[in-house]
Amino acid sequence: MGEIVAAYGLPHTPFFPWAVQRDGPESQTAQLFKRARDSLEAARPDVIVIFDTDHLNTFFLDNLPVFAIGVAEAFKGPNDEPRAVPPYTIKSLPGLAAHLRERSVHAGFDVALVQDFEVDHSVIVPLHFVTPDMRTPVIPVFVNGHIPPLPSAQRCFDLGAALRGAIEQWPEPLRVAVVGTGSFSLEVWGPRIDPGKSDGVPDPDWVQEVCRHIRDAQIERLVAAATEQRMLSAGNVAGELLNWIAMLAFVADRKPDFLETQLENGHAYAGWRWS
Amino acid sequence: MSVLALDRLFREVLRDRAFRERMQSDPAAATAHLDLTDEERQALLAGDVAKLYGMGANAFLMGYLCRFEVCGLTLPVYNERIRSARP
Repeated sequence: MGEIVAAYGLPHTPFFPWAVQRDGPESQTAQLFKRARDSLEAARPDVIVIFDTDHLNTFFLDNLPVFAIGVAEAFKGPNDEPRAVPPYTIKSLPGLAAHLRERSVHAGFDVALVQDFEVDHSVIVPLHFVTPDMRTPVIPVFVNGHIPPLPSAQRCFDLGAALRGAIEQWPEPLRVAVVGTGSFSLEVWGPRIDPGKSDGVPDPDWVQEVCRHIRDAQIERLVAAATEQRMLSAGNVAGELLNWIAMLAFVADRKPDFLETQLENGHAYAGWRWS
Repeated sequence: MSVLALDRLFREVLRDRAFRERMQSDPAAATAHLDLTDEERQALLAGDVAKLYGMGANAFLMGYLCRFEVCGLTLPVYNERIRSARP
């Protein structure tokens, strides 16, 4: 029987691998990722399920699923050239991935199938920091958090809950860690970027509010507050919060072991380990 | 559907290095084959990212023009122009 053992919320800022290479292992970003990495190593997962928003590199505007699960022996990335990130080949568990998709479709979620694919920095950057040897298989679950109309926060939470149930019904012993990745307030290359920069954080108050709900384990309040309008007003990629919300369905009412923000980037790092 | 053609072009700047180099050296020739309206073509070649954004171009993809400095779009130029667009 599958067992959920840990969950993490992590950023995927594409220049972080380069910045950490420049600033060293004592830098704030390196230390925050290390905290998640240490926890993940202690959790000894057999597989990682990661909720991610593809940045139009696995999919594109001509063929764009709201939800999709990668079902493959392995996949490669990154395919969008983030600096200081080597090419990785990541093993997966296609049998489990197919099971997750089947159960989620039967539960009423129309999850697309993707079998031959690469991923971009949004999957690779967090893994680069928390599982750099890439020995643990990974199953990506793609959530459209960028291109309106977005799925609702409740829908994403319910998808997470359905996948949690599917994992618990897996017939063999299996330790599963879950990751949700993305920002809460971030504009990238759009009109609300900061002067002189390629990005900006239009709504740091929203970041604080999101973190308060997570810290207090008030996920229902977070789901109610995270309307499409609220998320998009916090930046053109702020719908990535949906990946965290899907991940939070695995956490239930637990409070995080750690939750740290980088307000200037509009995102946070959080971890829960319970088994 | 030529906004989709623009968005595809932006991603090809990332994906196809030969195309990227042609866009850096002679963008008018590199885009001559694309099915764009005159208005779209003019805005693209002028690096008028605010206008392209107003036409519906995807901002995240459009950023590749700046990342690879296509159509005169250095970061200061891109930044000033896109910040003049309505969110």
